[in-house]
Amino acid sequence: MTMQRIKPHLPWITLLVLTAMVGVVDPNFLRPANLLSLAGDIVPLFIMALGLTFAIYIGGIDLSVQSMANMITVIASIYLASLGAWVAVLCIAAGFGLGMVSGFLTTRLCVPSFISTLAVGGVCFSIAQWLSGNRALNMDAEQRNAVFGWMIGHTGIVPNELFLAAALLALCLFIERRTILGRVLKAVGAGEPAAKASGIDVGRYKMLAFAISGALAAIAGLLFSVKLSGGAPTIANGFLLPAIVAVLVGGTPLTGGVGGVLNTLIGTLIVAVIRASMLYLGVEATQQQMLFGLVLIGAIALTIDRSKLRTVK
Amino acid sequence: MYQLSSVDKKFPGVHALKSIDFHIKRGEIVGLVGENGAGKSTLMKVIYGAYQPDGGQILIDGKPVHFANPRQAMKRGIGMVFQEQSLIPNLTVMENIFLGYEAQFTRLGVVNWKAMAAAAKKQLAKVKLEIDPATVTSALSFAQRQLVELAKVLTLEERIEGDLVILLDEPTSVLSEEEVKLLFKLVRELTSRASFIFVSHRMDEVMALSDRIYVMKDGQVMDVVAKADADASAIQHKMVGRHVDREYYREQRQKPYDASRTLFEMRDIVLPGRPHKLDLALHPGEVLCLVGTEGSGREAILRTIYGMLAPVSGRFEMKGQELRNFNPRRSVAMGVGYVPRERKVEGIVSGMNVYENITLSQLGRYSRAGVIDVAREKALARDWIRKLSIKAHSEFADCGNLSGGNQQKVVLSKWRSGGSDIMLLDHPTRGLDIGAKEDVYDMIRDMSDDGVGIVLVADTLEEAIGLSHTIVVLKDGAIRQRFDCRPGAKPSLYDLLHHMI
Repeated sequence: MTMQRIKPHLPWITLLVLTAMVGVVDPNFLRPANLLSLAGDIVPLFIMALGLTFAIYIGGIDLSVQSMANMITVIASIYLASLGAWVAVLCIAAGFGLGMVSGFLTTRLCVPSFISTLAVGGVCFSIAQWLSGNRALNMDAEQRNAVFGWMIGHTGIVPNELFLAAALLALCLFIERRTILGRVLKAVGAGEPAAKASGIDVGRYKMLAFAISGALAAIAGLLFSVKLSGGAPTIANGFLLPAIVAVLVGGTPLTGGVGGVLNTLIGTLIVAVIRASMLYLGVEATQQQMLFGLVLIGAIALTIDRSKLRTVK
Repeated sequence: MYQLSSVDKKFPGVHALKSIDFHIKRGEIVGLVGENGAGKSTLMKVIYGAYQPDGGQILIDGKPVHFANPRQAMKRGIGMVFQEQSLIPNLTVMENIFLGYEAQFTRLGVVNWKAMAAAAKKQLAKVKLEIDPATVTSALSFAQRQLVELAKVLTLEERIEGDLVILLDEPTSVLSEEEVKLLFKLVRELTSRASFIFVSHRMDEVMALSDRIYVMKDGQVMDVVAKADADASAIQHKMVGRHVDREYYREQRQKPYDASRTLFEMRDIVLPGRPHKLDLALHPGEVLCLVGTEGSGREAILRTIYGMLAPVSGRFEMKGQELRNFNPRRSVAMGVGYVPRERKVEGIVSGMNVYENITLSQLGRYSRAGVIDVAREKALARDWIRKLSIKAHSEFADCGNLSGGNQQKVVLSKWRSGGSDIMLLDHPTRGLDIGAKEDVYDMIRDMSDDGVGIVLVADTLEEAIGLSHTIVVLKDGAIRQRFDCRPGAKPSLYDLLHHMI
């Protein structure tokens, strides 16, 4: 009973406690400049997690986001020279389109989303390898600064990435809370049969959820390649696990229906603090994924709605 | 033989059982009736060991016993035949019967199937079921599965010493009249082997089968009635604390429907897998009731009207327009509303609040360019909470936490607020207590007054007769008979049964 009441508040309590703990170990950590740069660094992951939230919100999953971002870094690096700013449109369209493909496979051909997105992710990875010739690519620094420089500079002490993140969060929040799409996705996550019996063409909206996930993964990839001034088919590896952790730790369970993009904001910040704390505790980068794996399992076990699962296979 | 002495059970906020005294004699059939929430299922769970009482004693042959779980209760001869069947569909009948007790047929971990089949055959003979024990369970009819379940419980006879008490939880809810008769005959014969506790919503069945009837209300035993003294209306009076009279179905509010206009008309409609042609029409203000046993084709007709099933041939006109493609979206747009049987699965979305549920079928009407006007939604919800006196603390209440009757009101307001004038009601009163049922009956009459046409699949035949203007009796997918049901000139149960079976 009390656990039920506390549960929705667990994410931000966790965030505060973790931040305070790291702050006690190293008071420098709590300096605004440090916190801001920490937040700025996590933005690509945040954008990816934001999109992933939609897939998980309906009770599905999108495992293609990391490969999608990889592929986009390659596409952005190659076509920046010829397309200029239009490369952003190409990237987002590619993400949206491939997300639609995942959605089509899931809703129309009834392939479970963890398989359909895994397959689409495989396709993305392969496209990245093929386009790049399996090499790391560089952007022309001057052109990058001219076209996308606004993404990565600073305004005062605030990293510009944060404005982009805030804008996307506001857009996603609007979709979730105020649009038919958001309402239907909630109904699908909480009780799909009832949504169907209300005469809603559920499949269309589910496809859109995967498309949004793909599009945001593409934006994450684009930002990442701009930050690094280049791209490679494996450059974003290591994003998938933290992104899923961010969504689940934030309080959107794998079973869907509750939580949302604001939760993912908190979840991503938790991931950021965990990462930073590992730095202070001297945990090597190669060991980080171990911890994220453990946190993921813990988060799933805590958040999942077991009443919706009759058996797990 | 088996006895409960002032048993108490409390849950947070609920005193579920209040000092219950209960006993059953060897070979006796005891009925247990009460409204939803009266404490029947809690009492049963105490009896078969799923719950432990907070106070009082369980006595077997006068000696106190304690069950930590159902398995321990089984060792003392208490068996349960579940309403939601516990058989595993892809196992064979014999595997199901001896599930968890295979050791007696195994040597070095290898099962002797012949021995198991022979033993299973013996158990099946007890319930007079002549099937091959190697049949896969999913191939059996529902009634057969129920008997297998009973046979499974009867294996206790060989396994334990002492007497058996078998609980039957709503065993008749999905059986046809004929199957019910067979089951009752069997149970009476089996009283030489066991005592039975029989729980059912259907008063007539409880009265027909039981030697004594325990009437429960609010966690207490209100009365124990012997078969000879049983009187349906007296028992119902004790269950609800008031009389359930002939006004129950609101017959006095039944007005003639408008036969000059037609909401939909089916002509020579043939449904997939059924050879028969169906003709059916619905008029404004009419309650059209589809009557038949499970599998007689009632659901298929509802699903066709709702657009989930496309007919193979025939002509389907809705509001003067011939339908060519069938999908729920089109039906909803044409004013069809659907109150499904599985209220918690298809009716409401639990986890969403009242206004989100009410507008789910009409989001287009409460939005502009895909953006929802939440203020209007809330106003609408408040309006309907008041109109149907839905018991919810506000329009923000999670529908999953409402009681069954109030959930049904939310589903009805979803369609009514959208202006649906063809309502499909599939068992709209299933699982509701009597007060909530009466609310639903009132709402049906209100809808008729407003010129809504209703296609109803009722929970009981009495309900069908009481509510409808027209009854269509179905059997094996064909329309067998139509009855005109003017108040005062309604067909009897017998008239309907005659055509159903």
